[in-house]
Amino acid sequence: MMIEDVSAWLVWVLPLIASLFVPLIGKYSAKARDYFVIAIASVTAALALSLVPGVIFGDGQAKIATISWISGLDAGVYIDPLAVLFTSLVAFFGLIITIYSLGYMKGEEGLTRYNYLLLLFIGSMIGLVLSDNLIQMFIFWEMVGLCSYSLISFWYKRPESVKAGTKVFIMTRIGDISLLAAIGILFTMFGTFSFRGIIDGIVLGGFDPELMVVVAFLVLGGAIAKSAQLPLFTWLYSAMEAPTSVSALLHAATMVKAGIYLLARFILIFSVAPVIIEALHPLWFPIVAWIGVLTAIIGASLALTTTDIKGVLAYSTISQIGFMMAGLGAAVEGAASVGWFSSLFHMISHAFFEGLGFLLAGGIIHAIGTRDMRLMGGLKKAMPISFILMAIMIITTSGLPPFAAFFSKGLVITSVTETGNLIQTILLYATAAITFAYSIRMFSLVFMGKESEHIQKQHVHESSKIMLIPAMVLAAFCIIWGISQPLIANFMHFELEHTLIGAFTSLETPIFLLLLLPTGLIAYYTYYKNNQTFRRVAAGKNPLTTMLNHAFFFDDVYNSIARGISKFSDGVRHFENTISVFPLKFGQSVVRIANVVHLYFDTKAYNSLDKLINGLSNTTLTGVSKMRKAPSASLRNYIAASVVGFIIIAVLIILTLGV
Amino acid sequence: MDYSLLAVFAIPAISIPFVYFTGKKSNKAAAIFVALIALVTLALLSTTVPAVLNNPDHRYVETYTWIPVLNSSFSLFVDGMSLSIAMISVVLIIAAAIFSINYMEGKKNVAVYYALLSMLSVGLVGVFITSNLILFYFCWEMMLIPAYFIVGNWGYRDSYKAAFKFFIFTHAGAVFVLLGLGALYMATGSTDMFQVQSALMTHGTDIARWILIALTGGFAVKMAIVPVHMWLPDAHSEAPATMSALLSGVIISAGAYAILRLSIGVVFPSVDAAFGVTFLHALAIFGIISAFFGSLIALVETDIKRLIAYSSIAHMGYIMFGISLFPTNVTAGTTVIVVSTAIAGTILHILSHAVSKGLFFLSAGAIMHQTETRDIREMGGLAGKMPFTTVSGTIAALSIAGAPPFACFISEVLIFVGAFQVINYDTFFLLPTAFMLVATVLSLAYSLRFISRVFLGTAKAKETPEHKQILEVPKYMKIALAIMVVMVILIGIYPTFFLNLIQTVQFG
Repeated sequence: MMIEDVSAWLVWVLPLIASLFVPLIGKYSAKARDYFVIAIASVTAALALSLVPGVIFGDGQAKIATISWISGLDAGVYIDPLAVLFTSLVAFFGLIITIYSLGYMKGEEGLTRYNYLLLLFIGSMIGLVLSDNLIQMFIFWEMVGLCSYSLISFWYKRPESVKAGTKVFIMTRIGDISLLAAIGILFTMFGTFSFRGIIDGIVLGGFDPELMVVVAFLVLGGAIAKSAQLPLFTWLYSAMEAPTSVSALLHAATMVKAGIYLLARFILIFSVAPVIIEALHPLWFPIVAWIGVLTAIIGASLALTTTDIKGVLAYSTISQIGFMMAGLGAAVEGAASVGWFSSLFHMISHAFFEGLGFLLAGGIIHAIGTRDMRLMGGLKKAMPISFILMAIMIITTSGLPPFAAFFSKGLVITSVTETGNLIQTILLYATAAITFAYSIRMFSLVFMGKESEHIQKQHVHESSKIMLIPAMVLAAFCIIWGISQPLIANFMHFELEHTLIGAFTSLETPIFLLLLLPTGLIAYYTYYKNNQTFRRVAAGKNPLTTMLNHAFFFDDVYNSIARGISKFSDGVRHFENTISVFPLKFGQSVVRIANVVHLYFDTKAYNSLDKLINGLSNTTLTGVSKMRKAPSASLRNYIAASVVGFIIIAVLIILTLGV
Repeated sequence: MDYSLLAVFAIPAISIPFVYFTGKKSNKAAAIFVALIALVTLALLSTTVPAVLNNPDHRYVETYTWIPVLNSSFSLFVDGMSLSIAMISVVLIIAAAIFSINYMEGKKNVAVYYALLSMLSVGLVGVFITSNLILFYFCWEMMLIPAYFIVGNWGYRDSYKAAFKFFIFTHAGAVFVLLGLGALYMATGSTDMFQVQSALMTHGTDIARWILIALTGGFAVKMAIVPVHMWLPDAHSEAPATMSALLSGVIISAGAYAILRLSIGVVFPSVDAAFGVTFLHALAIFGIISAFFGSLIALVETDIKRLIAYSSIAHMGYIMFGISLFPTNVTAGTTVIVVSTAIAGTILHILSHAVSKGLFFLSAGAIMHQTETRDIREMGGLAGKMPFTTVSGTIAALSIAGAPPFACFISEVLIFVGAFQVINYDTFFLLPTAFMLVATVLSLAYSLRFISRVFLGTAKAKETPEHKQILEVPKYMKIALAIMVVMVILIGIYPTFFLNLIQTVQFG
């Protein structure tokens, strides 16, 4: 038995099982609990690492191991480069975040719950990417949603947190039902849930390519909601109510990356049959690419206006995942396309720089107690290390050479350019330019200029070591990750024609850098130099700023839908309450009519009829009132009668029974 | 032949007077007595598991001679479906009895309460383990009468009004059931389900149609399918917590069981194919209406128990929809229809809904017991004060919302996956399935609303000196809640035991 046979199971089972022990240990000692969690996270990371050699020296094909679970459906692991790439990422970030949480969450209430959910979150996400069948994947897919719900509403006493968590869960559920429909169709077509079975089924043929397009669209629906893409991206901004450590994990490795994994996985499966890729050409790929491109630019433009430091990072993630989607949309030749690889490569670099951004933002929020950037400024002096790290972060985010995103984002744009869609290419370049602008804006507002009043009032410290060291590790990766491109291509068993040198020498690089200049300058003058003219323009009231301030009105639309549903429900409830008294009202009106009749015909001629009606209505009335009051004495008689009756019948049964 | 099923029927029945006399002495002793009897029942039921799994027809049958005039024998049987539902019912009775120890403390006439509870358990389990129609009807009514008295006597507020409504509605339903069963006897001259089923095949389809409609209509009242649901919100919300848990958990599910067993299993094979398909389509539409109606009202309801009651209506809608996915594409001449994915999911959903809703109502009962309020607008922040109940209530709500790793998730997935298999040959179901998928978003919405309003946020309940401090629930309530939590998670993670049983079910 190879080591990876064991570790492929343990790497997700261990955190899941260990999470159950967190409450037990937490009762005994808080310190032991914290170290236990870090130990488990370390072991998980080591287990994930142990899967890597098998993939590098393997043939790029999937290895599968299963155990029996539900009859007709085995639980299993599916080890291929894609799965191991995600596993390593999640396990690595799990470790980073558990260490960081030691510092960031120090002194918070409910840390046992926090740590429990953190391990559950990590285990579920690894379980998701290693699942060998759709049902198992879907279970973890939902559990990831459940964990983010619980962690986002971690501060459950704050109404905003609770609201945000609820919003996240409900919005992503919309995508989940779409994915469930896809699973249903696939099972109907191939009679199996397992990836291997579906691939075999596709190879054998006998499927309807058009139906596969439907499946692809339903899968896309799931990915859109989970990865916060147009039009369901608004939840990610609300999710900022989570503790920052959770946000870092959620953005870098778990939750939002699940959608990218899903699409990458399905493109990989579809690539088995050129017929399917062919069928996806007219609509699916362009739509994926367009969703990506539009989300990228919308996210970036919103990052330019929000005043919440975490909001900038949230919109930045939305925008960067837009890039990944665009890359997947450019994977017009299936998993062999540069688009597919570039998207995954960018996914990892995004994890590093966005994770870094959140860790630093967490430190800042921790230090000054606010998320509002208008209250910040001039933090350079008080937090010099954070300042340097943040500089690395924004350089990487903006895609300046030679840091990670330069290669990864560049590769995404190249792949989109190669599909020949000029408008998409231009929009992506524009997004890159805006990215540079919002990075400078955030950097200037937080670190540059004079110290704000808010900051002067308090004694601001640099973040503690335990929070800075994880950030430094991520910063180091931001710097070197881009150069590892050939290694990763090798790891993914992907034949990449684009070289590192090529990235520098291509025509696109100077264009890209030139484009950054104007936007960068505007942001520089507005926020760094605090140029009043620019500021006034930025603060002015015009249709564009209104749109941006309302985040393009998406949330307003959703809120009115939610209000509409709630109003409609009120109507239904009112209707229900009205009709449910109908039986009673009916009885009452019968009595009333009887009374009227009684009054009207109260003559001698109708005496006998009168008596009859009178008697009837009286009986009804007394009957009703008796039922209402139900004196307990008569009640006991009823019960006694029914018990006696029951016993008599039981005796009868026994007597008539011939055994 | 051994006597396990007879004992399942007889032991609780014989124990009733003893329960009553124990109850006269001590509340706790009576509760534990009921729980022990139920435990014995559970053990007896589980002795039949190997027979169900291994017998060639996957049924375990005991037959005793009985009322020869009516050509009727006292026949008890279990198959995968009835055995699993009966076992879950017994588990719920155990939990309800243990919960009662604290819940019924200091209330009047507890002895009668426990006697009625055991009487109810006889009827409840009896419905599932008999194949004789007379005995079935007897147990069907046996389920109703104790329930009526428990709701009326130990309920809240206008409990007798609610109980009366409950009684009238379900009794009206039972009349239709009786009509249907009588017609079956008239047509076939037999009172055994399986004989009736094969005998009915030789008759014309006209009578079968009417019987199908009468039976299904009657059972639908018990299931509280819209528009015959009106009794449910009142009865469930006014009933004592234990009774709500049993009502919502298994008694309304008995309606679903009866539709599967009698309407679908016995009568359905005899109707002509075209009518059968229309019938199933109608069920699907009623299922959707119930699911939406229940979910939407649960979304705005402010009474903690009415909210859960409407969620029961919604979930009966899911189950009705699941039943409507009964396979109709089997070739003529095959008499044995092994259970399909959708039907397996539906039966599993009956089980998972039973445990989840049982847990939900018990948690709500615990909250009402401790906070002395039932308006969720006055609650909030209970997580800090009642952590145990918070966990159990949250698990119940999340299970009802269909979140893994809790019970309802896996069954809903199976229903939906099965739905797509049905769409493959009957495209009518495309739209209903889409609607039901949307309904799951609504059920998530009301569950989360419940969690946020009741457990999260800050405390709104008045804690002025004259109000007592809100405390965690007492020991026995905890035990009862814990039993249900374990069941919810167990079915959610490893439904294999029940699925193995369910997969052996044969219809027709």
